[in-house]
Amino acid sequence: MIPIQNEMTCDVLCVGGGIAALQASIAAAEEGSDVLLVDKAHPRRSGSGATGCDHFGCYLPEVHGDDINVIVREILGSQTGTCHDPRLTRRFLKESTAMVHRWESWGIPMRPKGFYEFKGHAFPTRPRAFLHYDGRQQKPILYKKAGECGVRFLPYSPVVDFVFNEHGQPVGALALRIDQEDPGFTLIRSRTIVLATGVATRLYSSETSPGMLFNLAYCGSCTGTGISLVWRNGGHTLNMEIPYIHAGPKHFARCGKASFIGVARYPDGSPVGPFVTEPDKDYGDVTLDVSHRILTERLCDGRGPIYVDCHGAPEAWLDEMREALRWEGVAAMLDHMDEEGIDFSRHAIEFMQYEPHVQGRGVEIDENGETSIPNVYAAGDIVGNFRVGVSGAAVYGWICGKSAARKSKDAPSSSSLDQNSLDAACDRCSRIYDRRGSGGATWREANIAVQTLMSSYAPVPPHKARSANLLCAGLKYMKDLRAKLDRELSADNPHELMRALEVYELLDCGEAIMHAALERKESRGNHVRSDYTLTNPLLSNKFLIMTNRKGIVAGTWREKWN
Amino acid sequence: MPPIIDKDKCIGCGICAAICTMDVFSHSGKGHSPEVLYPEECWHCRACTMDCPKGAVRLRLPIPYRLLFVDSATLRQGRRV
Ligand SMILES: Cc1cc2nc3c(=O)[nH]c(=O)nc-3n(C[C@H](O)[C@H](O)[C@H](O)COP(=O)(O)OP(=O)(O)OC[C@H]3O[C@@H](n4cnc5c(N)ncnc54)[C@H](O)[C@@H]3O)c2cc1C
Repeated sequence: MIPIQNEMTCDVLCVGGGIAALQASIAAAEEGSDVLLVDKAHPRRSGSGATGCDHFGCYLPEVHGDDINVIVREILGSQTGTCHDPRLTRRFLKESTAMVHRWESWGIPMRPKGFYEFKGHAFPTRPRAFLHYDGRQQKPILYKKAGECGVRFLPYSPVVDFVFNEHGQPVGALALRIDQEDPGFTLIRSRTIVLATGVATRLYSSETSPGMLFNLAYCGSCTGTGISLVWRNGGHTLNMEIPYIHAGPKHFARCGKASFIGVARYPDGSPVGPFVTEPDKDYGDVTLDVSHRILTERLCDGRGPIYVDCHGAPEAWLDEMREALRWEGVAAMLDHMDEEGIDFSRHAIEFMQYEPHVQGRGVEIDENGETSIPNVYAAGDIVGNFRVGVSGAAVYGWICGKSAARKSKDAPSSSSLDQNSLDAACDRCSRIYDRRGSGGATWREANIAVQTLMSSYAPVPPHKARSANLLCAGLKYMKDLRAKLDRELSADNPHELMRALEVYELLDCGEAIMHAALERKESRGNHVRSDYTLTNPLLSNKFLIMTNRKGIVAGTWREKWN
Repeated sequence: MPPIIDKDKCIGCGICAAICTMDVFSHSGKGHSPEVLYPEECWHCRACTMDCPKGAVRLRLPIPYRLLFVDSATLRQGRRV
């Protein structure tokens, strides 16, 4: 049995070390809470915001004027605006103003050119909601700030489960230590918990480079821990069935689409969209925000491929764009271009749609960031009813930190733990490690097995549809796969054990998707069903809430919180 | 496969290994160059390259990841590439 080597206690436990978790930790520490931040990696450079971002969605009255609704509309109409409870969007935008100023005072360049510049993810003639900033050092700066506020850190410690009190309520977490020869556990007791574990990648087969698991636009160590924990423990999840499918350069999966100022063109040179015909430094070509799917559709019908072509832009604009890509954390692509002699001024780059990942889908939170599980909060990419990338993670992380700190003052500290569930959690991990050296199944095989099931039985458009037949078969195969992994999955060291446990999180996310997709008897966005082809207008202002209570899965509909 | 450490420049500080979000490296102690244990798990965030005080780490892009591109001029003239 993997031993519990260490026990820790705190008021607020932040699970994750990314943008949302660091923000939550700072906010809670400022309220006087004893805060522990537990990260799978090291918070200085972990997660999707590791080396930069450059578009901070926000409302700045000094730029946008007094009417916040102008920006509410733009955010809800943007590529990240599909799965929002508008009440949360408004709360976010109200608090985003102060966050811009706060980040600036902490040393993150929010106006690197000396003025607030809004560009990217924007339509010509419409207001612009995304502030262009230099995010390269955002993580080291937030990490330092958290340390200065008294936050304690536990790095290299993926959280694998909650720990519960005798009433079955989560009162802490179990984290696995991976920075030692043999794995060990840290048992953490806390009054409140903030989940902020980022996107779930590696769930679908790779579109860019099949067989290679880590050609990913987002952090590949994020596999939906927070969603899995909430799903496994009867909490509300939503929008899991509505896939988000990102797009970008082919075949190097990268974010940064909005930093490109070029025009999306067909091979005959004609523009794909109606927005621009020449490179535009303020708007870029928003066509590929409006539709990611068009990239695959045009490839499949032979009218593509589609290129992003920056030719004709003045050299100064191209320099600015290269700089923007660096701010965004996409410098690895620029290095590759330099090595290969690929130049934006002379070459048009093919774009493609990547495989789906889970972002802005998952955990339901209320206006204060609390999930349906009391004393458990969630922020950032794991949230299913609000998402604005980095700024959404920053602001809602902050809101969660403040709320959790206040709640911690009243929440009782846990006296006794439910020993049975703790033993079960330790046992679940230990069994995999006990098979080390036995020639058992590897996490990689297991991960690919999950991907093939997801791609076949919870497929995404274009040209593929879901149906009750497929989803029921998929759920059966997922159950079989889980049973097989329970018998055969092995790990030779802590690193492999971490990856093996990630596969279980992906199984949870996959099952949550299939159940929700089965329940949503209509087609909507990238959720396309061949047995329910209509998009039902009566459901437009509703969300489907899914719960899994000890294996009994149920769906209920509620009105969006307007 | 990425990342690649230039042993001549590396001073064995271990920063790259400490900050790697993918846990790709192992580091046996100050003064020793980290080993790249899981190169295929790199997601190319480039933190190791950015934070290396000696510029000793570079990333090699696996061949299937390469960018596909065409001449802009050809595209503009409406000639099929
Ligand atoms: C290259 C790039 C550019 C981007 N640019 C923009 C942009 O310009 N604008 C924008 O709005 N968005 C952008 N994004 C998206 C943005 O980075 C994310 O939305 C944001 O980082 C989400 O914050 P988060 O805290 O939810 O997750 P992350 O910042 O990804 O943090 C997740 C954290 O959870 C940790 N973790 C995972 N599992 C566990 C576990 N089991 N136990 C403990 N810790 C765990 C990880 O180590 C990590 O620290 C970009 C993303 C990328 C990759």
